Amino acid sequence: MSHISTDVQSETSAPVTDTIWGVKILGWLNVLLGLVIFAGGMWLILLGGSWYYGLAGLGLLLTGLMLNRYMLEAVWVYCAVWFGTAMWAWWEVGNDWWAQVPRLVAPTLILILVLLCIPSLARHRTKSI
Amino acid sequence: MTHTPVPARCFIAATLALSLSSFAMPAVAQSQSDAPSATSPAASEPQSGTASQDVSAEDTGGTTTEEAATDGPQPEMTVGADWPYYGGDARATRYSPLSQITRGNVAKLEPAFTYHTQDLPEGSAEGKYSPEVTPLKIGDDLLMCSAMNILISVDAATGEENWRHDPGVANEAIPYGATCRGVSVYRNPDAAENDACALRVIEGTLDARLIAVDARTGEPCADFGTDGQVDLWEGIGEKVPGWYAVTAPPTIVRGIIVTGAQVKDGQAEDAPSGVIRGYDAVTGDLAWAWDLAAPDRNRNGPAEGETYTRGTPNMWTAGVADEELGYVYLPLGNSSVDYYGSNRSEAENEYASSLVAIDVTTGEDVWHFQTVRRDVWDYDLGSQATLLDYQGTPAVLLPSKQGDIYILNRETGEPLTPVGELTDLPTGEVEPDFISETQPVSEWHTLRKDALEEKDMWGFSPIDQLWCRIQFRRANYDGFYTPPSADKPWIQYPGYNGGSDWGSVAVDTERGILIANYNDVPNYNQLVPRDQVTSKPINEQQGASEGGAEGAADPQAGSPYGIAVNAGWRNDVTGVPCTRPPYGGIRAIDMTTGETLWDRPLGTARRNGPFGIPSFLPFDIGTPNNGGAVVTAGGLIFIASATDNLFRAIDVETGETLWSTVLPAGGQANPITYEVDGRQYVMVTAMGHHFMETPVGDEVMAWALPGQ
Repeated sequence: MSHISTDVQSETSAPVTDTIWGVKILGWLNVLLGLVIFAGGMWLILLGGSWYYGLAGLGLLLTGLMLNRYMLEAVWVYCAVWFGTAMWAWWEVGNDWWAQVPRLVAPTLILILVLLCIPSLARHRTKSI
Repeated sequence: MTHTPVPARCFIAATLALSLSSFAMPAVAQSQSDAPSATSPAASEPQSGTASQDVSAEDTGGTTTEEAATDGPQPEMTVGADWPYYGGDARATRYSPLSQITRGNVAKLEPAFTYHTQDLPEGSAEGKYSPEVTPLKIGDDLLMCSAMNILISVDAATGEENWRHDPGVANEAIPYGATCRGVSVYRNPDAAENDACALRVIEGTLDARLIAVDARTGEPCADFGTDGQVDLWEGIGEKVPGWYAVTAPPTIVRGIIVTGAQVKDGQAEDAPSGVIRGYDAVTGDLAWAWDLAAPDRNRNGPAEGETYTRGTPNMWTAGVADEELGYVYLPLGNSSVDYYGSNRSEAENEYASSLVAIDVTTGEDVWHFQTVRRDVWDYDLGSQATLLDYQGTPAVLLPSKQGDIYILNRETGEPLTPVGELTDLPTGEVEPDFISETQPVSEWHTLRKDALEEKDMWGFSPIDQLWCRIQFRRANYDGFYTPPSADKPWIQYPGYNGGSDWGSVAVDTERGILIANYNDVPNYNQLVPRDQVTSKPINEQQGASEGGAEGAADPQAGSPYGIAVNAGWRNDVTGVPCTRPPYGGIRAIDMTTGETLWDRPLGTARRNGPFGIPSFLPFDIGTPNNGGAVVTAGGLIFIASATDNLFRAIDVETGETLWSTVLPAGGQANPITYEVDGRQYVMVTAMGHHFMETPVGDEVMAWALPGQ
């Protein structure tokens, strides 16, 4: 995590050329969802429940913040969140596919959207460097 | 939780695209109105004992031929070409010996006819229809009631109406739902074949009347009660429409019509009595009353100005008759106030949620078997019991809402299969001295699943799933029989919809297979302290009561708490259930061992989705279901009941769906099968169900193999 925060700082110092709306919207969406899931997740942890949501919410929030700064590393962070989610989901309910719907469908849709940001993020990085 | 929609809608958009093909299915159902309409107005010739395949080698003991006497067994009608009883045969096995439709040819079934009862909700009845109608078939006729108790006879081969008799039931009489599960018929042994009302159709109505009409003409039976009617309000007390209503077909044993009534749940401790009454099937005279709290004093009715004991457990579902022993087996429900028990009498505690055997010749109870002690979960017995021979002993099989299946000795009520005992159950904080620390369970077979865990929480996205996990952790839950609580919600699993409910089970007596469809749904409940209760009991309400799920906000007047039930425990924003599917299934059980032969979800996801948007997913998800099955010698199970509006044929040996068709409305009713002129028909009514949230209809639909 420490190298990411360094990146965040170096990235903020780089001049932002123009706004990429798709990335921005996805970034804010992730911030919003991340906040909701993190807050609910903390509540659940306090009630003695699963730690997944608190952690996943944090990952989603971080992804959103990094997307808002056009950091390509956001993709890696989200991929980590997604793989963690998939492993946790398999551990909880295995191949019960109906039970997997809330666990995997929305996170996978977000994964696709995040992956679609790669070209824009890569272009932005080239420009700003 | 208003953020939930975003991912959920994404999911729906994706699934809509996946399943466009299923849009084609409703068109199939539409074509059923093109069914043959050739009339055959010939007067129907009701008859019993049609060409009989031997139903089962059981102890019918020559009851089909001997001369009827009011104090001895009377002839039973035979299932086969006819479907003479609500449960098929007199034993309520829901097994038909017909075998023209087989596993090999069932895929060729085509619509034979559709009949419209034209009984659809108007005015204040909107949103309260749950007809649950199952016709009888006797001779050439189908005999049925509609949601509002219109008695109807229809030609069983063409769907042409023979007659109808409308008793004029007012909307205000609708209790929790406008329901008439069926009618019963009685052949007067002393009447000549052509006498009026020699064969009579008898129903109980929502406004608590017993009505008898001639099966051939629909004319009220002049010899029965007053102009063919008996008033069941007699001895009940203040007449509050909708509080006391008959929704089940009466049971007729040795010439005695036995009926209970639905007492609308959760209103007040001072509620109409759950008294069971027997009436002479010819004259309509009261033969006896069984008031469980005052059986001797009120046997011939209460004294002038008195009522039967108020608030006692009632029987809203169907009983089953035992002509041989002269008993009727009555599945009782709980006391009127379901979720608080400290004010109940010892008699209520003794009999609530029990199967009771009553000797119809005396009106006295012979034995009773209680399925839950000190019921504070609304675990009414909803399923009709089934008579069978269990390893050589005359037995009665009883499924419960908790999912337990018991087999009892018909004469003594002693269990013939192992009954276990749960001990050290939690007693909670509300009434710890009342709640029972022990409960019986069937060790022969239960439909109940394991207790819920946090990981069983569901939704369409991580956010609603998370919200349900929070609710799970916030609630009181110690597994099965978690007692009610007021400080926070408690989880009741299984919920009051079962397990097994009024659709009951079907028994293939030839193959020795029990077919049980069931619900697998929790309720999320909370007791509401009296000073916070806003709803009023039905006798204090102005105008028509609101519709809605039973117990959603019931006052339970007289007790210290009202009750709030989230039936099916659904997310309050999305309407999506908080627990993972399946919500219902169907199972085959080996009658010899009690072991599961196969088990599968019942119902596809095609009509279900968040915010009530149909997902059109053609996959089996296992939906809640209400209404039972028919099983046939042809090796088929016919069942609708699920909320996907499909009517289907399932292979009795494998559980595989071999045929299905889309109904124009919810099929929450028990199907039947019968034969006319050598052609086998299967039939179900598609009339919808307000609580199951399926579309309302008035269709009575039949299918058959293509004509030769």
